[in-house]
Parts: sequence; structure tokens; C-alpha cells
Amino acid sequence: MELAKTLQVTLNKKANPKTDLYVDLAQSLSGVFLVGFLWMHMLFVATIIVSPELFNSLSEGLDKYYLAQVGIPATILLIICHIFLAGRRAPMRLRDMRIAWRMTKMMGHADTWIWAGQVITALLVGIFASMHLWTVLTQWPLRAATSAARVASVGPADPSWGGFTFPFMIVFYVIFLLVGEYHAGFGLYRILVKWGWFERHKMGYVLKGITVIIVALGFIALYTFTKIAGGGA
Amino acid sequence: MGRQLSFSIFRYNPNIPGDAPRMQEYKLEEYEGMTLFVALNDIREKLDPTLMFDFVCRAAICGSCAMMINGRPGLACKTMTGTLPSRINLMPLPVFKLIGDLSVDTGTWFRNLQVRTESWIHTNKKFDPEALEVRMENKTAEAIYEPERCIECGCCVASCITANIRDDFLGATGINRVGRFLIDPRDERTDAEYFEVVGSEEGAFGCVGLMACDDNCPIELPLQQQLAFVRRKMAQAGLKLDLKGMKIS
Amino acid sequence: MSAKNAYICDVLVVGAGLAAERSAVEAAEAGLNVIILSLVPPRRSHSTAAQGGMQASLGNAALAKGDNPKIHFEDTVKGSDWGCDQEVAKMFCETVPIMIRQLDYWGVPWNRVTAGKKKLPSGIEVEDTKDKEGLITARDFGGVAKWRCCYTSDGTGHTVQFVVDTVVCKLGIPVHDRMEAIAIIHDGETCYGVVARCLRTGELNVYLAKSTVIATGGAGRIYAASTNAVINEGTGAAIALNTGLVPLGNMEAVQFHPTGMPPVFILMTEGARGDGGYLLDKNLHRFMPDYEPKKKELASRDVVSRRMIQHIRAGYGVQSKYAPQHLWLDIRHLGRQWVWTNLREIATIAGNFNGLDPAKDLVPVVPTQHYTMGGVRTNKWGYAYGLKGLFAIGEAACWDLHGFNRLGGNSLAETVTAGYIVGKQIVKYTLGATQDFNYKLVEDFVKQEEERIKNLISGKNGKEDVFEIRDAMQQTMMDHVHIFRTGPSLEQGVAKLQELYRRSLKIGLHSSGQGANPELAQALRMPGMLRTALCVAYGGLMRTESRGSHFREDYPKRDDANWLKRTLAYWKEGADLPTLDYEPVACPIMPPGDRGYGEATAGPKGK
Repeated sequence: MELAKTLQVTLNKKANPKTDLYVDLAQSLSGVFLVGFLWMHMLFVATIIVSPELFNSLSEGLDKYYLAQVGIPATILLIICHIFLAGRRAPMRLRDMRIAWRMTKMMGHADTWIWAGQVITALLVGIFASMHLWTVLTQWPLRAATSAARVASVGPADPSWGGFTFPFMIVFYVIFLLVGEYHAGFGLYRILVKWGWFERHKMGYVLKGITVIIVALGFIALYTFTKIAGGGA
Repeated sequence: MGRQLSFSIFRYNPNIPGDAPRMQEYKLEEYEGMTLFVALNDIREKLDPTLMFDFVCRAAICGSCAMMINGRPGLACKTMTGTLPSRINLMPLPVFKLIGDLSVDTGTWFRNLQVRTESWIHTNKKFDPEALEVRMENKTAEAIYEPERCIECGCCVASCITANIRDDFLGATGINRVGRFLIDPRDERTDAEYFEVVGSEEGAFGCVGLMACDDNCPIELPLQQQLAFVRRKMAQAGLKLDLKGMKIS
Repeated sequence: MSAKNAYICDVLVVGAGLAAERSAVEAAEAGLNVIILSLVPPRRSHSTAAQGGMQASLGNAALAKGDNPKIHFEDTVKGSDWGCDQEVAKMFCETVPIMIRQLDYWGVPWNRVTAGKKKLPSGIEVEDTKDKEGLITARDFGGVAKWRCCYTSDGTGHTVQFVVDTVVCKLGIPVHDRMEAIAIIHDGETCYGVVARCLRTGELNVYLAKSTVIATGGAGRIYAASTNAVINEGTGAAIALNTGLVPLGNMEAVQFHPTGMPPVFILMTEGARGDGGYLLDKNLHRFMPDYEPKKKELASRDVVSRRMIQHIRAGYGVQSKYAPQHLWLDIRHLGRQWVWTNLREIATIAGNFNGLDPAKDLVPVVPTQHYTMGGVRTNKWGYAYGLKGLFAIGEAACWDLHGFNRLGGNSLAETVTAGYIVGKQIVKYTLGATQDFNYKLVEDFVKQEEERIKNLISGKNGKEDVFEIRDAMQQTMMDHVHIFRTGPSLEQGVAKLQELYRRSLKIGLHSSGQGANPELAQALRMPGMLRTALCVAYGGLMRTESRGSHFREDYPKRDDANWLKRTLAYWKEGADLPTLDYEPVACPIMPPGDRGYGEATAGPKGK
């Protein structure tokens, strides 16, 4: 005795009853891969702390074996997929946004607030990642010196702006680091919660720990880059 | 002398033409051991006989009196006013149809849920009054009892953003209910048949993982575990993984 | 205003608890068109609050070996103090094992036998044998010779109600919840259905049926302190009484459960004592063995409750913030594992309402109104006296399985068993009946109810406050019609209740009464509740003996010579007191004798 279904629901099911499963799996998998990529990326970047030489050799190695040439487009593709897959979870209609916001404020429930933060950081990560990719790719190849210069660059320093200067890029990267790691850390938390392999409170602490370590590494790397840029100039 | 409690209570009776939704204030003196059950009845009997709310068992067993207590869903009957600040804000549960004031129609919602998820034992066996019961391990019986404890109060549904914005979502209670039948050896449904019921965005794959259900369940059902169990089980059924000897769910 | 909707069906079940739903299943499976009316959604019914279990002589557990329906029957009759209908009890005891197994087939996760040696809290060692492993187990309960109480943790009512409701859902039986029957439509001979008020909108509806089943549960809320849910106001029995034709049987037989937890008076299951819990006094002395050396805490409920009050009167009660006088329930020695697995619900309740953990704390308990043995008097097939086409089952009925004291675990068992047995009779009657009603008659009943509502709103008859009258009634019942009763006190109680009854006819609303107004709902029930309360008090006054839970201090002995009979209380139109009639109680199988407990006259012993 099934409740009456609409034509559209019936046809969706007929087309492929497993679509919802595949989409849900794909969302989780794309998330896991992106978190993996991000954490790896940050570890690679952090090699700058050890020495610019290590950083360069790693970077050259990636180029030499075409890992960057394949990896970067693949990651871009993955990000686009992830936007579509995870984006369908975010409240899109105005009605939904109002309800979601009202409930979040009313309940003051930690995980729900964190999720609201995830939706917002998702937007920021999307924008920041595009800008980051643009600047990196237009200054290819990626080496310690170019990265340092990029991180330390100031702008706009145009006389028509009154010679006004501001270290935009370092601020950009600090914010990007924070929102990126927030989104990734809690994203992974949520994936693991949904599939339920660990006790969520303990797992939360572990993931927060990892995130703090990576953010710290990121900060030190940024500091190192500014040092290198300062020393070079 | 107890504290002076001020209640701010949502008032709206859709059956009275021209009535408008509003918050109404009531003041009451607190006394030792006061629950919201006592307080609301005092308000109705001494201050405002029109105030609508639902209580049945007043022992946190029947699930009738769930409401938003200072923003969070909970059972009013077991909420001691002593655990709340002196300003108490009461709203009806969202998602469910509003009957009036703090009273919502959880009955119709849950009945639809039972029918949609076909929450009854499916079996081709005929009952034989002469035969002994089919044997079962006590551990299995206890495992079934755990999700079966759900009192259908609606707190998980009310606190779920997904259920708030999508009325076709089964909610934690619905997925938990299906999980109860999944582990019941008496139910002869195949995994494919269960997939038909919850293997979709309306069911197991619709959960976003905000866990407000898990944190707000008044009887502390392990909802995260239940939701994840059904999700894994359905993924396994959907992918037709045949991992012999490997325990993935 | 007139009836908003009229529904026509074969069987109308008023109430959606276990008895109601079980009978509805029986009727629907026979292909009849059934509608269920209920104050609340079925899964909120008070049946779900039943904790301890369901008596059935399966004989699987170690200390259940050799059990059979005959022993169950004997326990039931002794428990009832020979007040029950023995034919009904026999039929019940023989049917209930099948009911348990059918519930299992439907999905109740009954706890099972696990083989192995076990040491009970009493020190006795028992062994569950391998051949019984995996079969439905049982726990000990009050007033029984064998372990017979089948259970799922201490949420038995919950699981059984939920499972029976799954069958109702599966069969697609429509449930009109938040719909209160406020009058029975009849022509003095036949019942045609009910007038019902919608508790969503306040509109009146008409339900017409070949068979109408009253299954609305007990009337515990005529007392101020009761373990019952707030909806247990005896509404179904009250509208049957109000016809003037249908009598309520044995209303003076009211059960007081030994362990209600003050100050909220929520039930602590008898399973707590069945599993080995003790009752302690202010000196933490286990006093029950002093009074009842044989059954100790597990004598029948009427006996244990009286002993507790006796002990409190002797000065051994505890005075604490929970209640002016109470005793302790001690289950600490059962161990944390046991308490939080098999007595989990009461452990949660003690935590929720008193901040106590029974695994390490004592829980305050005091005897509290719990069950209405009386109700709409029916014959052994469930046909109500006085009107054709009217049936009654469950706590609302006086089928008379329980006589003057119900055994723990027999009520949950009664609900499904009566639902099944009477359900079959309902089918039989309904298949042979036809819808034949005079719509003028129906409209007259609707008009009468409309008139009542109009008068309550306008205050035409007076301006009495409904809540004030209710509180006064509840207090009167506590003061005069409680565990220990005396003639003079009952007389005062009856006089007070009569006065309140007259006032209840002059209730006027303080609010507008618009929509599903809760004050109006209460005001409509009030005269009926007072009539019910008067049946209890007056029946108690006239019964000059002590039997089961009805204990008269001025007549402390059971008097089989004069009182082996059942009270039938009628309410004649315009009266302010019930008219009492009596019918003999036959004892064809087991002649009156010694219960084996509660007879000793041991005085209180302190330490």
C-alpha cells in the first residue's frame, strides 16, 4: 500500500532507482578526495619550512612526471563536481534559506551552526580557489621564489590610488587558509558522521586536532614565504 | 519564595477567523519540582483557559508534549523549570501541521510515515496458533527493542534542517524505524525491497548529517548510529556488494 | 451549527489503545468497515505506558516450569478475591498464550530465555535449560505461583501497542484521532453510534455504526494522584452510563498500585519487585516479610498497598521532599547492568523527575490509584448490558476478569485477549445486523449536544468554574474513597460529590469556547466524571464487606454469604445518585477460599 506518487517521482525512479545512492556516494567521495588533496597540498607547501630547495625539488618533480599537469585539471574538475554534488544540500530557495537560518538561530545547536558555517565557507572557498588558481597558473611554473613573491606582493600601489599599499595577498591567504581548512575539516567530519564508522564526539576532537596542526603549518609556511620574499628583495 | 517565571508562548489558532500569530506573556511563581507540565496547566487553569497544548502520560513515555523550549525541541512534561532561566520561550514544533498554540498534528504525520515506509513485519508465513513461537536470541530481541523505543515525539524531525525544508524527508525517526525492521529476522523483506523504501533522497541518502536529531532525542536513541547503519546497509544493497566474511554494516 | 460530517461504518471503535486496536484488527480482517475514534493518536494511548509485562502461562523460564492456564486461572481468581467471572477468567487464561505468540509473529521483541545457571537476588540459584533457549521468557510478578509475566524490558505496553498499531496501519483502518465521543446515539434499545466533538476544530461529527465498541480505558483521573495518563477520565464509560440503560459494574473496585513515585505519581513497574526489588521503611528495614512471610513484596497489589499504608500509619513512613509520607523502593542490589537493561524505563523516569539513579539510589514510592477494575458491564462475549450493538472491552469494561483486584500483568494481557475474543463476537453480531436508523433521532442527539455547548458558552445554567470542580472532586476521592474506607467517611464523600455534581451542571465557561477550546472539552466531560466518581463512592459505601482492593475498616472481612455479588450502577435521568443493582457472582470452578496471602493479621514490626 504505497502512498500515491506523482508522475515525476515515478519516472525518476523508473529511470534509475539508484541515482540517489550514486549521487550521495559521489558527494562523499569527492569530499574525501578534496580533503585528501588539500591536506596533501598543505603538507607540500609546508616543505618550504624545511627549505626552499626541498620545496623546489618537490615542485619540479611534480612537473617532471606530469603530476601537476594532470593533477591540477583533475582537481578543478573535482571541485566543479563537488560544487554540484554538495551544493544540492544547501538551501537554495529563499524560502529554504529563511527556514534554515531561523532554525539555526533558534536552536543554537553546535553542529547546525557549524553546517551553516560550511555553507558560507563553501562560497568563499569557491571564490578564493578560483583566484588562487588564476594567480598560480598565470605565474607558472610554481617555485619557492614565485610563491614567495606572490604571497608577499602588495597592491595596488598605483599613484592614482594615492600610492596606497596593502599586503592584500597575505591577508587573502590567511583567510583562504582558515576557510579552506574549516570547510575541509568539518566536511570530513560530516562525511564520517553520515557513514558512522566512529563515535562522533571523539572523532570531532581528532579532526579538530588535525585541522589545527594543518592551519599552524600553513601559517608557518606563509611566514616563511614572506621571510624569503623579504630576504630576496 | 520561588522565582517569578515569565513565559513567552506562541499563540495562534488557525480555526478562529482573524486570529493572528503572536507571542503572549504569562507570569507564574515557581515552586520546587515544577515541570512545564505543571506550569502550562497552571496557566490554562488560572490565567488563560484557551491555551492549547498536549499532554498525555506526563511521564516522558508517550511523546505527546514535544515543543520548542527556549528554541530547542524537548518534552515539556519532563522539563523542570528549575533547569531553565526565568524567561521561558515556548513555541510549537515546526514541520508538523499547527493545530493551535503549542499543539501540533504529529499523529497524521507519523501515520503517513508508517504507511510510506511500510513499517510492519512482512512475512509469507501464516500464524499458527498451535505452534510454539519461533526461537530468537535474547540479544536480537534487545537489539530490536533499542530502535523500537522511539516514542514518535517528533523532536528529531523538528530539529532537522532537511526535514524543515523538505516535506518528503522521512527524518531520523523514519529511518530509525526502518532500521528496526532491517535487523528483525521475522521480516522477510529483501535488501532490494528495503532499498525501494529508504534508498533515496527522501530516506537514508537525504540526511545531511547535522545530528540535531541525535543531540535532541529525549530518550537518547543512538540516532547517528541508526542513520549510518541504514545508509551503509542501503549503499551495500544498492551496489550489490557481496563481501563475504567482511563486516561492513 | 449542526453535525459537520456524518460517517457510516460497520464497526465504530471508540478509543485506540490496545484493546481497541486489537478488536479493530479482528473486525477489519473479517472484511468489515471499521473506524477508530481516539482522543490522541493510537501510539500515545495510555496502553503504551504499561511497563512490566503480560501474563501468559508459556512455562519457558526456569521458575515457570510446569505452568499452565489452570494455574494462571487460580492465581487470577485468588487475586480477584473471588470477585471475577470465572468463565471469563478460564477463557482468558487459555487464550492468552496464543495471543503472546501472535504478537511475536506480528513483531513484538519479547525477551527470550538464555540458557545457563543464574543466581537470583534472593540467593536462590536457578537454571534455564538449553531446550527452552530462544523461547519467550517471563519474570516474576505479584500474586502468582509461577514466573509468567512476558516482557520487553520494562516497555512492554509500548512495544505491544506499537506492533498492534503496525497491523492497523497495514490493514489501512482509518483512525480519526483527536475526536472525542461525547454522546451515544440510541433509541432505548439499540446503539446506533456516537456524536463526537473534533478536538482540532471543535466541530461536531456523527458516527453511525452497526456495532459500537467502548474501549476508552480507565477513569484514574477522578483521583488527584493517579499513575494514569491525563486523558484517562473514563469518558467512554461515562457516556455509556449517561444513557441510563447501561450499567457500570463494580466501580468501587479501584486498584492502588504499591509503587507510584511521588511527587509526580508516575508508575514504578511491579517488575522492579518481580525482578527482586525490596520495599524499605524509614529505618531502611525491609518490612514486607514481617507482614507477608510467604509472598513478601509480591503479594497481590491490594495487599501490598494496604500493608504499606499500615506500616506508614504505624509511624515507619519516610518524610522527605518527595512526599509527606512515603516508603522506599530498593533495586540497587540488582546491579547497574540489570537495572539499565530490564528496568530501563523506570530508571529513566526516576532520573527525569527526581534526579535519582535507581542503580545507586533509593526511589520514593507510595500506593497510588492505578486501575479501574469496574467499567461498562458486559457479558462474557463483550456485549454491554442494556443496549444492542454496544460492546465494551479493556479497562473501560467490566468483562470481569479482575473482580476486586487485578493481578499485575493481567491488564495488558486482557486488552489483546478481549480484543480478540470480543472482536470475534463483534464480527458475528455485525455480519448479522443492518444499518437502520432514524435520522431524526440522530439529529436530536446532535441538537442536545449543541445545546449543552451553547449553554456552557453562554453561562445560561451558571458560572461555576470547571477546574475548581474537578480539583474538588479529585481531592474528595483522595480523602474519602481511597485505600482504607469507612462508612462515615464514604458518606461524607458521597455528599460532597453530590454537591459537586449539582454544581457541575451549572458550569459556565470563562473563555469564548471557540474552536477546539480545552476548557469546553473539560466542561463537557465534567458531569460524566462526577457520575463515575459517585458510582465508585456510593458503590463503596453500600458494599459492607472487604474484598480485594475494596477495604472497609468497619467491615474488614470478606463476606461471601452476603456479598458474593457484583454491583451494577445505573444513572437514571435527573438523578444525583446512581441506582444500584446487584447480580450474583458464580464460582462454578473454584469455590471461595483462602488467597494464601493478606489474611494474616500480623502487626507492624519496626527495627
